[in-house]
Amino acid sequence: MPRWLRLSVVVGIAALVVVLMLSFRRDPHDIRTGTVNKPAAAFTADRLDGTGTLSLRDYAGKVVVLNFFASWCPPCKEENPALVRVWERYRTSDVVFIGIVYEDATDKARAYVSANGVTWPTVRDDDGRIAFAYGVFGPPETYFIGPDGVIAGRRIGAISEATLVASIDKLRAQASR
Amino acid sequence: MTRERALILVALLAILGAVAWSAWPRELTAAERVDRITSELRCVTCQGLSVKDSPAASARQMRDLVVQRVAEGRTDDEIRGEFRASYGDWVLLSPPASSWTGLIWLVPIVALAAGLAAVLGRLRTVVPNAAAPSPPELAALRERVAREEALDLPEADGAE
Repeated sequence: MPRWLRLSVVVGIAALVVVLMLSFRRDPHDIRTGTVNKPAAAFTADRLDGTGTLSLRDYAGKVVVLNFFASWCPPCKEENPALVRVWERYRTSDVVFIGIVYEDATDKARAYVSANGVTWPTVRDDDGRIAFAYGVFGPPETYFIGPDGVIAGRRIGAISEATLVASIDKLRAQASR
Repeated sequence: MTRERALILVALLAILGAVAWSAWPRELTAAERVDRITSELRCVTCQGLSVKDSPAASARQMRDLVVQRVAEGRTDDEIRGEFRASYGDWVLLSPPASSWTGLIWLVPIVALAAGLAAVLGRLRTVVPNAAAPSPPELAALRERVAREEALDLPEADGAE
């Protein structure tokens, strides 16, 4: 085998190893697809409790935590106590939580919300348009939108209280600067 | 020209005409466009299935969105672009050759070229050296052959 070819093979294998190492280091809960660092898609949707509609535009200038969930989703139940605690901590501040029902029957979603202490505004997404606009793979997924209306981060899978607090505080600190 | 040859020529022309006719670009119907676009989009909640082939609810919703966008007069690229904006190139079953994922298309070509180069290099090394021996080498070889032949001579037993 010619020397240049041997060298090419070695360089190719080394490059592959580097790419794999970098890929394995990535947090699978923090996959940065197209929507992160981009303006959050505007939406107006029916409230789950049937009291009219909710528009993201109404919360401009606030830190918004968008949480996609479903009653049939075990990790959603797993993360819910953390969401409730953090919501109680920030509900009187400039932080807003919005729940978005993902592929679920309205009556089941209502029962879930009632049984699990979800008191933040929650909307339906019957045709999946909000989920597609944000690049949701499946529930639970949580998006953090800064006061500037840009998606600062996302979390795939059940989110912890520590991650919620850290992400919210980071955005609030940026806003106060 | 014999009759058989004329028939073969007519048959070949007919085949060529049929291929050209089928490959000729034509205006697709809205349903055909939806089928084409959804067959290129990945179902986001499935494993390796296109939106067209998947029975999942999210795939149905994606298909509904494609139908709506086609009806609105959006181009195929615009519709694909809307999903790429949300999900990245991952949402396309065939990665585009324009972005860095185009390397996926390049790798087999590079691998093939490297394989060919390796085979050619190998062939070159096993080709025997056809250079003629020099006169002193030839003389030494002849002398050696003669010596070995003299050693291998059968003993005369008068059988013949």
